[in-house]
Amino acid sequence: MDEHDRAEQRLSRERLLKLAAAAGGAGLLGGRIGTAQAALDWLNAESGRLQVLDWAGYGNDGGQPMFAQYVKTHPNNKPQFTYMTNEADALAKIHAGLKPDLFRPYVGWVKYFATSGLVQPWDPKQIPNFKQLNPFMVKAGQYKGKQYGIPDDWGFDAILYRSDKVHPKARSWGLLFDERYKGRIAWFDDPVENLTIAGLYLGFKNPWNQTDAQLKRSQKLLISKKHLVRMIWSSETEMDNAFASGDIWIALAWPNDWVQMRKKKLKVVYMHPKEKPIAWVGMFMLLKGTPRPHLAHAYVNAWSSKRSAKWLEDNYGYGHANTHARPSSSDLLRALQLTNPKAVTLPNAYLDRDVPRRAVYAKLWEEVKAS
Amino acid sequence: MALSEVHDPPARLGRRRWLRLDLTTPTLLGLPLAWLVVFFLAPIAIVAAYSFDVYSLNPGPHGFTLTAWHDFLHSSVYLRLFWKSVKLSLTVSAIIVLLAYPLAYYLALSGTKRKYILLLLLIAPFLTSYLLRVLAWKVILGNQGAVNTFLFWTGLRSPDHPLSQLLYSRFAVMLVLGYIWLPFVALPIFVSLESLDRRLLEAASDLGASRLQAFRRVTLPLSLPGVVAAFLFVFIPTLGEFVTPSLVGGASGYLYGNQIVDLFGTGFPDWETGSVLAIFLLGVVGALTIVFARFLQPGEVTVD
Repeated sequence: MDEHDRAEQRLSRERLLKLAAAAGGAGLLGGRIGTAQAALDWLNAESGRLQVLDWAGYGNDGGQPMFAQYVKTHPNNKPQFTYMTNEADALAKIHAGLKPDLFRPYVGWVKYFATSGLVQPWDPKQIPNFKQLNPFMVKAGQYKGKQYGIPDDWGFDAILYRSDKVHPKARSWGLLFDERYKGRIAWFDDPVENLTIAGLYLGFKNPWNQTDAQLKRSQKLLISKKHLVRMIWSSETEMDNAFASGDIWIALAWPNDWVQMRKKKLKVVYMHPKEKPIAWVGMFMLLKGTPRPHLAHAYVNAWSSKRSAKWLEDNYGYGHANTHARPSSSDLLRALQLTNPKAVTLPNAYLDRDVPRRAVYAKLWEEVKAS
Repeated sequence: MALSEVHDPPARLGRRRWLRLDLTTPTLLGLPLAWLVVFFLAPIAIVAAYSFDVYSLNPGPHGFTLTAWHDFLHSSVYLRLFWKSVKLSLTVSAIIVLLAYPLAYYLALSGTKRKYILLLLLIAPFLTSYLLRVLAWKVILGNQGAVNTFLFWTGLRSPDHPLSQLLYSRFAVMLVLGYIWLPFVALPIFVSLESLDRRLLEAASDLGASRLQAFRRVTLPLSLPGVVAAFLFVFIPTLGEFVTPSLVGGASGYLYGNQIVDLFGTGFPDWETGSVLAIFLLGVVGALTIVFARFLQPGEVTVD
């Protein structure tokens, strides 16, 4: 703990004593004023910096405008960031003893974390901007009626291709497996995504919960087509650079990649395959037993505001769950279908979901990469 | 009194010396040994424990099991990947030893006054970061990189058909690894050649040996420990390498080291299998080091 943290803690204790006295008075008065004051006291009693486990780019490394309102109102409890590279990394960090107040897995992990005993539900009443959030995404953040995930950034997984070089035979995920474009295709490095896409392509009823036989077929398809793949990307920037330089012509990509390539004057199409794209949504989750639950709610409220949402859309090219926000770019508006609140659900897209046998999927995907 | 001190019996003197040594040795060796135990042996033991599932950060039932080892040893996928990495590392190591030897030979034996300046130039890339040196190759090898731009300019390739296999390929991994490790190879060979007793070469010449014979019978055997050390310097780290393949290797340049990192870090944590792969790699490298260590003894000059 550094000097700054200690000073903050001292300040909080002093303030806590004053507020405790004030709360005693409010208790005597009773009624709504007293309750509100008690809530304020509780908020002020939470001391130290808010611990946030988040993806790179969402912290002090560029994401400040998205939580600027929080910093303004809580100057003594500024967020302190630890970065996660994926949900598994977040899980490992938490198991290893990291105690973030909140973190951000994606929608497919909501059930996993909700049942893990590591997180607690949010209280939407403490998030005034909550009512502006997309109801379909809000529902996806629930487990057994409780709000475990607060939706924020979102996008699609679909196919980006160079229309001057590539001529798809069909509007299908099959373009990622097209022999004509050997050495020009990029897949995304995700333990579930590729097997799910293979399952969609092969016409399985529930690609997120494939049987052993189905998984074997999906894995076989991926292994047999891997020789066509130039890169399996995990960094969006790396994939964008490779696409822009012409190293790859076809990629599993996000809407922002299409916008970026259009800015570079490339002839590109962002194709939603007939088997349907997959929609992903980032979900803030609250760690169980966190000593700063109210600060965490205030932080998420700042992130959920219309202003933060617009900034995210304009600067990062991702969608935001706040339905009131609109990006400046009409291209992005179109790619994300922001005028359609149902864009992330059927019949338009599959919203990513829980994978009961995630470990099996991950093992099979690792074997695909190793093959 | 003074006399008795002077005439201490030899046995007592020896004992005192032994006592002194007894305190000095642990003092000198204690810290490095403790460092080695805490930061090298203990982590390896923990990783080994992960591989048998007797220890894990993840909650849930855990107990000794050989399942991960059984699956690994019966998995053609992982063993094939390991063999792919071995072949790539062997090729890279052999090629750069062959390239570095003449370079080190020239620097050590040519008698040039500028050899230390040349040596400095050789190791100059080390003044920049490893990551930067790898990333620089992306600028050189990409579709719109320096090589392809030159080919377009000369008309050898059209911009519509660049040499696309330069980047994101196994070739790219080998090229970049070779570039990165070349100075590591040249230095041990240079040191072994420079410490060569020149009188042996004069003697060989006096005895009628040609320059080639002197090289084959004298210089090469005596520099062999340096060559073997250089080879190991490259082979061992490149066998577990994951940074270069992940930056320039693409799907076809994916190596065993990448698999270990991915099993620990991406997807769904599978530390058990990741640990098995890591311990297996450590075992193989350890065994190879023991085998090669005997070649690190000074070579002998054969006389017919």
